Amino acid sequence: MDLVSLFITSFIVNNIIFMQFLGACPFLGVSKKIDTAAGMGIAVIFVITLASIITFIIYHTILVTFELEYLQTIVFILIIAALVQFVEMFLKKSAPGLYQALGIFLPLITTNCAVLGVAINNIIYEYEFIESLVYSVGTSAGFLLAIVLFAGVRDKVDYADLPDSLKGSAISLITAGLMSVAFLGFSGLQL
Amino acid sequence: MKNNFVKLVSILFIIAAVSAGILAWLNDTTKDIIAQNEAMASMDPAILEAVMPGSVMFYDFEDTALIDTVKAENNKIINLMTAVDASDNELGKVVRTWSTVKGFNGDMELYVGFTSDGQISGVSVISHQETSGVGSKTAEPAFTEQFIGKDASSEISYSDYDAVTGATYSSESFLSAVNNAIKVYSDYLK
Amino acid sequence: MNKLQIFNNGVTKENPILVQQVGMCATLAITTSLLNGIGMGVAVIAVLTGSNIVISLLRKFIPDEVRIPAFIIVIAAFTTIIDLLMHAYTFELYKALGVFIPLIVVNCIILARAEAFASKNSLSDSIIDGLGMGVGYLVAMILLSSIREILGNGTILGFRILPEAYEPMMMAVQPPGAFILLGLLIGIVNYVSKSKKA
Repeated sequence: MDLVSLFITSFIVNNIIFMQFLGACPFLGVSKKIDTAAGMGIAVIFVITLASIITFIIYHTILVTFELEYLQTIVFILIIAALVQFVEMFLKKSAPGLYQALGIFLPLITTNCAVLGVAINNIIYEYEFIESLVYSVGTSAGFLLAIVLFAGVRDKVDYADLPDSLKGSAISLITAGLMSVAFLGFSGLQL
Repeated sequence: MKNNFVKLVSILFIIAAVSAGILAWLNDTTKDIIAQNEAMASMDPAILEAVMPGSVMFYDFEDTALIDTVKAENNKIINLMTAVDASDNELGKVVRTWSTVKGFNGDMELYVGFTSDGQISGVSVISHQETSGVGSKTAEPAFTEQFIGKDASSEISYSDYDAVTGATYSSESFLSAVNNAIKVYSDYLK
Repeated sequence: MNKLQIFNNGVTKENPILVQQVGMCATLAITTSLLNGIGMGVAVIAVLTGSNIVISLLRKFIPDEVRIPAFIIVIAAFTTIIDLLMHAYTFELYKALGVFIPLIVVNCIILARAEAFASKNSLSDSIIDGLGMGVGYLVAMILLSSIREILGNGTILGFRILPEAYEPMMMAVQPPGAFILLGLLIGIVNYVSKSKKA
């Protein structure tokens, strides 16, 4: 599969949130304002891309060489946790406004299924380095797209007249479901 | 303060080391069973029969250099094999490949068998992640048997086959794997 | 809280999926068939209880500053244990659950319980909490995957329930269906708990 179609597929056709569900927790939690959502999305692109690169290298040079593949889960999650720490410190210094706005959701990028999911998928699909890079950037860009779109919609939903039991996560999920239908439409896309 | 730092790191290190030790032991204990599971999944007699009727074993190509060349050019190819019957006669060639188009939940892994006169002898799914009862129907004979006898001189187009109703993405992923095998067969194995 | 209250808390009042709404990724992805839902639920019970046990045992030993990395290592270790065991002994289920088995390590509920409960409570209480939360997770998985399998496939555990003539609602086993059905389920749970309070 050439790189362009790999990108489009991971960006839209197999959108990480609407089609693969990875990253659903922060997606539902953060996205109330478009600029916060965008900030979160960009932070995630950064973390996923870097995490992919590092985990890929470590897996192929160390884990495979020493037949330690079973340590994949532990090693990957520790790399991700450390990476998120660095991003946190970096943002605190260079973009304190965004750091405040993201709040608790920034360290929670560590438990974002999308980050670990992408790292693991790079191994499962036996991607080469450039392919894994394209896959990571495409996937995380898809996360950004999803989260910004959702923030826009969520904004309007807040003004809607809803029965009490549906307010909050329930209506968020249903809304996400309807947006997912739209993304389902991309599935036939042949490149 | 430095003492404290050393203490913190040591405690983490101990926890990590103990965990790694336990995992290493467990990995060792289960390694063989896991290898067996994986092998059986792809060498099940039913699969051998479905892909190349009459075959009892698939052996890797003797020409391993060719396997490497093909894999370098086509990274969805997993292996090239020869199917033999009980008397060790060669029945045909088998290509083990990933799909080139993702299915609903991921790539599919297939065996595609080719007779010596350039027809598909059979197709079988080794692994997939499709939805049970929906995309998983592509692994069933009702779907896979339609490929038997198809000419392997050119790729099969969308109009030339019947997809599983309601499982378009799985079916197209399946087809992409078959076509990838056909491409390799035409380019290298004829 | 006594033991029964702790257990009950995990299943109802603070149900990880239906009330706390964490760990959704696997819930949405895996629940296309009841068997998969049960398999995942049991795996989570195993990892959650196991890590609660170890973290509770080590709670006086782990210094506060490094507790998060320590928890992560323990949880990741248990996840890998379950992964290896399933790969060896429940191969079909392992293939069906795929990438979501290693993803148990980032299931927020496990880290949350480690931080909020196991690191601060006795061994026996932590075991009960792990079991309670795990069973709560399993119950939610069973609910959602039963609905999705019946609506989307007409079967339950592979047995046909609805007549052949029933046209399966494809959407139920596809991503939009997952989101919408889970949303509705949570809405219903909200409604029921509100009317109980009234």
